Amino acid sequence: MPEAVQLNPGSNKTFVIPGKPFAPEDEAALREALKRCSPSTFEAAVQFRKTGNPEHLPAVVIGVIERFVEPDLRMKLKDADDDLRLIEDLGIDSLTMMEIVILVEDVLQMSINNDELRNLRTVGDVKTFIDCKVRGLALPKPTKFLPIEQIAAIMPIQPPFLFLNEASVSSNGANGKYKITGQEFFLQGHFKDNPVMPASIMLEALGQLAVLYLLEGAATEPGKVISPNTIFFTGCEGVRAHRVCRPGDILTLSIKPKRMKMPLATFEGAIRVGQEKAAIAEEITMTFGFAEAIIQPVPVNGTAARLNGENGAHAPTPLRAAVNS
Amino acid sequence: MVPGPVPTAGLEPKLRPTTSSMPRVFITGLGFITSIGNDATQVTQSLRELRHGFELYPPFQKPEIPVKVAAPVRGFSTDSTDCEDWSFPTRYSIKREVLRGMAPHGVYAWCAMQQAVEDAKLSEADVSNAQTGLYAASGGSPYLMGHMLQRMHTMGVMRCSPLGIVASISGTVQFNLVAHFKIKGSSCGFASACASSSHALGFAYDDLVLGRQKRMFVVGAEDGNMDAILPFAGMRALSLQTDPNVASRPFDVARDGFVGTGGGVVLVLETEDEVARRGVKPYCEVLGWGQASDGHNVAISHPEGTGLRAAMENALRATGTAAEEVDYVNAHATSTPIGDLSEAKALKAIFKTPAARPAISSTKSLTGHGLSLAGAMESGFCALAIRDGFMPGSAHIAKLDPECEGLNIIRSTLSAQPHIALNNVSGFGGANVSLVFKQTS
Repeated sequence: MPEAVQLNPGSNKTFVIPGKPFAPEDEAALREALKRCSPSTFEAAVQFRKTGNPEHLPAVVIGVIERFVEPDLRMKLKDADDDLRLIEDLGIDSLTMMEIVILVEDVLQMSINNDELRNLRTVGDVKTFIDCKVRGLALPKPTKFLPIEQIAAIMPIQPPFLFLNEASVSSNGANGKYKITGQEFFLQGHFKDNPVMPASIMLEALGQLAVLYLLEGAATEPGKVISPNTIFFTGCEGVRAHRVCRPGDILTLSIKPKRMKMPLATFEGAIRVGQEKAAIAEEITMTFGFAEAIIQPVPVNGTAARLNGENGAHAPTPLRAAVNS
Repeated sequence: MVPGPVPTAGLEPKLRPTTSSMPRVFITGLGFITSIGNDATQVTQSLRELRHGFELYPPFQKPEIPVKVAAPVRGFSTDSTDCEDWSFPTRYSIKREVLRGMAPHGVYAWCAMQQAVEDAKLSEADVSNAQTGLYAASGGSPYLMGHMLQRMHTMGVMRCSPLGIVASISGTVQFNLVAHFKIKGSSCGFASACASSSHALGFAYDDLVLGRQKRMFVVGAEDGNMDAILPFAGMRALSLQTDPNVASRPFDVARDGFVGTGGGVVLVLETEDEVARRGVKPYCEVLGWGQASDGHNVAISHPEGTGLRAAMENALRATGTAAEEVDYVNAHATSTPIGDLSEAKALKAIFKTPAARPAISSTKSLTGHGLSLAGAMESGFCALAIRDGFMPGSAHIAKLDPECEGLNIIRSTLSAQPHIALNNVSGFGGANVSLVFKQTS
């Protein structure tokens, strides 16, 4: 991928499954394995096993996850976007994740090891992961969770003009939080005796999250990294503020890349406070440039996941059962 | 082994301390999932009316299986390896995430626990605090263990259920109950085979008396299915009778082995302070206990019953009880030729004066032998008998074994309240436990 970064891995290329063809006894075993899943899950699994077409994978994976989610939470999966979180939103603990994995392995005839699982946090992570496994592609960078210390160490923007308290970054986008403390210097004048977070600063916060994505989440050419000193704001479209935000409000920010072609990257962004929409930007565009990567030795058995787990003070390991025996 | 001189219990000094530093301990709640009933009311009725729980157990009705009778738990279906296929009485609702770590007997214990908590009128805070613990006993689940190992060998090591281990190994009962009932105090499991849940009860009593805990749940449970029972056929310990009405007949001259059963029983033990604070009416007092080992054979009880005799002596001495004071003995007697005889000899050695002739029965004549479940189940029966004023008969004796002559083995239920009841168990390795219960004054 020299220039354009492929953001949507869902091409229709057929994946050829090694091994014997799909026999009637395989179908019977598959039906038994998926007996508590929806009929459409079974159908998708049969199609996948017969054709190897990865288009069927999302239906299989979502169907398997659904089967293990408590009935009262299943509605969430019906119109879920890829940001739906396995633990927080669906109540899936690490042991349930193991059950999901074992069934997926069984149904898709693949094996998944523990280290690969540690950073799957959202439905989107799982779909992307399975898709990459089946296609034999390199796994995407795992979602990184960054506390304020790490954000400040990475970002060219610094306090008092840094509007992120914490963030998570994956190859699909970035999410962040910022609490309006009331101590922000500009609130003294915006407005007189009536502190309101400026919409321009909220847009700035989204821009900062996009910067963080470019530095931590974006796929780049081999041997190249995006230089923090090359990123600048170039424009935005379709910005609307929906809600007045005041001290005490916690802004939940999210950005997703829409297009990325050197030297421009375009994102969509949104800010919520709780469940309320606070602001959206249909397009935020940044310019960026590459710097030569510093070559670092790669640990023999080390995975990005493991290194991340050790570095990230806030990176729990939810997908591995804590075995106390 | 040459037994030492047997002290006459009645002449022993009363060693039981009465200082306030050693609190008295009471049974305040019971829960039963058994072959003779799935709650205290049904169980009491079965015990009074000598209704047994035996049947021609369908999984045994094959030509290659010589054992035909078992005493399964009713109202539950747990014969699939997939816990989501299981069914249980509608009054219980168990979520999948709870069920997935359980063996069949985990479900029985879970339901008995619900009953016991309700029966003792315990609030959530009473159940979950640093002063409330849980001791449990089960032999694990050979059924699920077998399934898991078979799956591991055929499907690969990474395809086993992530909770296969916690559902199947010995300890599964307390893993599950402690987690799901949010127990914060002491917890562990006991593994002395058929003596296990009496050990659990004894050590729970000790923890309460020593001031380590204020309340203890004591749990005994067993799957009681094909894989839990049939391995005993190899040692020729099971009855081969085909008539459910005579298969289990402890102390009968024609007894030919035990009949297997499963289930779950939970007892709530509390200190007198807790009983007073909560204002509940206990079933009975746990006076204390004793244990001793045969030091003789890995699986066969000592022919003279020396270990069991010593366990009873220790229990009587520890509780300052004279042999003459014991009104009822719930015997271990499982209906095996050797075991019942050992116990009869031990009982004769303890209750030898004409004044000391307690009523003796084996309720295994109704329930079958519950293995790790036995001690808790039969202690629960003693508690019911003391509170409700009856002594269950020893059923199915057509002709008493002459070796048992001289013991007051009651063949029908007596409508009399035992003031003090004793419960015996003996397990593999020659482990023996004797527990003493007393009517609440």
